[in-house]
Amino acid sequence: MTRSPLIELLRYAAILLAVAITLVPILWMVSIAFKPVAEWQAAGADLTWIPRDPTLENFRYLFGRSDSALIVALERTATRPILASILAASFGTLIAMTAGTAAAYGLSRFGAGANLPLALIQLRLFPPMAVMIPVMIMWAFLSLMDTWWGLALIYGIVTLPFAFWLMKTFFDDMPREIEEAALVEGCTRLRVFLKVTLPMMRAPLASATLFVFILNWSDYLVALLLTTRQWATIPVYMASLSSSMTGQLYGAKAALGLIAAVPPVILGILIQRHLVRGLTFGALKQ
Amino acid sequence: MTAMPPPAPASAPAPAPALTAGAAPARSEAARLGLRLTLPAQVLILFIAIFPILMQLYISLTDWSPLSGRPWPRAWEMWNGFANYADLVADRRLTGAVGRTLLVMVVCVPLQFLLGLGLALLFVDDFRGKRVFYSILIMPMMVVPAVAGYMFFMLFQSGGPVNDILGTLLGRPVTIAWLSDPTLALVAVMIADTWQWTPLMFLILLAGLVGVPDDQMKAAALLGANAWQRFRTIALPRMKTIIIIALAIRTIEIFKIFDTLYIMTAGGPGVATETISVYIYKITTQDLVWGYVAAIALVILIVLSVLAVLAMKRMAR
Repeated sequence: MTRSPLIELLRYAAILLAVAITLVPILWMVSIAFKPVAEWQAAGADLTWIPRDPTLENFRYLFGRSDSALIVALERTATRPILASILAASFGTLIAMTAGTAAAYGLSRFGAGANLPLALIQLRLFPPMAVMIPVMIMWAFLSLMDTWWGLALIYGIVTLPFAFWLMKTFFDDMPREIEEAALVEGCTRLRVFLKVTLPMMRAPLASATLFVFILNWSDYLVALLLTTRQWATIPVYMASLSSSMTGQLYGAKAALGLIAAVPPVILGILIQRHLVRGLTFGALKQ
Repeated sequence: MTAMPPPAPASAPAPAPALTAGAAPARSEAARLGLRLTLPAQVLILFIAIFPILMQLYISLTDWSPLSGRPWPRAWEMWNGFANYADLVADRRLTGAVGRTLLVMVVCVPLQFLLGLGLALLFVDDFRGKRVFYSILIMPMMVVPAVAGYMFFMLFQSGGPVNDILGTLLGRPVTIAWLSDPTLALVAVMIADTWQWTPLMFLILLAGLVGVPDDQMKAAALLGANAWQRFRTIALPRMKTIIIIALAIRTIEIFKIFDTLYIMTAGGPGVATETISVYIYKITTQDLVWGYVAAIALVILIVLSVLAVLAMKRMAR
């Protein structure tokens, strides 16, 4: 069908407006991240969209390598929070994907654990805030407070529903002829799963893993309750980038925000094809 | 979590015949492996759902707090029966938080749905630059919510870019103190949520629209149906499930709203943007009245379970 140029023009106008609204907040953060102290401190005096004097100063400051005399040096650098975020999110993803993939296969092929689909949806439904009191008590009892491994364990449980549902839809979609052939060849079922099924599912496994990683990386509330100093994650640590002496360290916050925001955006664009499936618990396969 | 259904093997998807058929030992090997494979997930659920909820129930019947000098198993020494539950009925701050959460919900869910649907309709057929625009438009939902909170915190400063843009549009300087005005703070929080989550609606609804058969739409067009009629009579009925899923996801997530909002306003000014999660967080970490928090949390879990069961029953019909 051919459209009138006017309609086509209106379409582009609407899309460009949406793109502008989408990008302005992100670009503002990028702009602040590269501004020198003097430029972001004078917030409001005169507002510049493009840094007049772009610098990596804010990034150097985060890692304790700043030579600026304008702001007080950091008591704790951002290195450890970044490490905490990476460790907690990675191992949380490992736990969720291992337990989720195994359970999804068990249900998809052997009908085991029929209570899991609903139980896991319910797990997703409830606000984490509503079970945090017992979790905090248990974590204190198990000495898991303020550790990356304690955080990883709860991340593994919180994102288990996504890992399970994603892998279940992938297993359900997968043709079974090859597995059956391997079974006839005399392989045990466990061997078929480990040596035949999983290698065939490499691409879906990778997408699901990245998806779960993004979710774990995005957490704030759980880390806020379960970590304080030692293993505070990036968003928790970010709150410490302001003090009565310095005020809000916009530049450092924006720089760290950029560091935190870049990996999931890139990973998300990589797995675009599977985002809908992941977000709707496999109800929509696109 | 509270209403865990008993295992119902009958409703389980039937395993492929060839994987189960065969000699009896083979069948039990499959059953055993199935059990072993699902065991870790079951243990994790037990660990985070059943046990904590029982613990929560116990603590909610006491005045226990982490400062009480007793380990939690001895909370019974501070038994107060159902006093916590009686308190929460009269808790004005709680009803306020529930009301605000519902307000954000009834504003943001329809708004994000309509914006997302509008964008999705623009993306149904091909045009130049479609893939690039698509990638840009779904970016906000992948930005860490806490970082989005900082972004909007900076944007809404009185000397920040939002006022700057408004000033340029209006041709006079604008110095609105967004985050310290009770009403505007709530508006700012809703704008941030809409910025971040309209892409989710867009993504899901577009996937639904693309799934509508092209030939039917073309046939209807040949019969003289205009775009609105085609959308209403062909696309909309087919997208019913997808629309329900999209709305359900956003409703559930907004009920839990915390990250972005807490970083932007910390529930303030005063309690002007205090939602359920923010309120619970504050009394957990500041007032430390854990017996009372446990009671609130449990009531929320029960109400949500009932609503979820009702919703699923309706969906099944």
